[in-house]
Amino acid sequence: MNMNEELIHLEVPATAEYVDLVRITLYGIAAKMGFMFEEIEDMKVAVSEACNNAVLHAYGNPPVGTTADAPSQPPRMEVRFFKKEDALSIVVKDNGKSFDAQHVESAASPLEGKSINEINAGGLGLYLMQALMDQVEVHSEAGTEVILTKRLVRSEENV
Amino acid sequence: MKQPEKFQLRTETNEGRCVVYVSGEFDLEVASQMRAAMAPLVELTDRDLVLNLRDLKYIDSTGIGILVSVLKARNAKQASFTIEAIPPNIRKLFDMTGITQFLTKQNQET
Repeated sequence: MNMNEELIHLEVPATAEYVDLVRITLYGIAAKMGFMFEEIEDMKVAVSEACNNAVLHAYGNPPVGTTADAPSQPPRMEVRFFKKEDALSIVVKDNGKSFDAQHVESAASPLEGKSINEINAGGLGLYLMQALMDQVEVHSEAGTEVILTKRLVRSEENV
Repeated sequence: MKQPEKFQLRTETNEGRCVVYVSGEFDLEVASQMRAAMAPLVELTDRDLVLNLRDLKYIDSTGIGILVSVLKARNAKQASFTIEAIPPNIRKLFDMTGITQFLTKQNQET
């Protein structure tokens, strides 16, 4: 991390009622950095989708071969905001068992051009992240880590 | 924790129409509440089901997924489901995900 980079670290329970806290935090950071209203709205949606995935991994998709016992500690998710000079990267990490990112990636598509019986909302979250951010990376090793990046374009200072 | 805009749902039924007004943030947190509220309304095939989003501030893919499932359920029953008063930020997400085409054309081929 170089001198122009600042890290804000947030760790919250991996439950749906904390996703809006992450959104509010993102709003504050992005607004202070000078992002425009619409860009912030886009990032709010993308970050919420990443958090939703973390929440669903924590509770919703017990991996094959495990028991349904409650974890000894309530699952948590970690959100790190990297403020860079020309971009904001948001890293959302859960401690759930890794999921098949490759598979999810291939399923990420919009509903365009399909009939009503073919449509399926699965994969829309990742699709929205990709559509709304400049860069999306998904790493699945110990838990899943999603890295979302939005570039900061300062209209006045450019060129 | 204080909610920025608490999700609220209100239903108005009159001749031929059942209108559901939702406001606040329609996300994962309120998904089960919304599913439970919509389930009995989906069965009312003798009237048009309308969702009014005038005061909705935010929707995520969970919310959009619920709208898709209501659309499919109504379509299977050959009953209508329309969404009205869509704010621009939500319209943008509907366009992006491609759900818009199903909201404007009712009862597409089955």
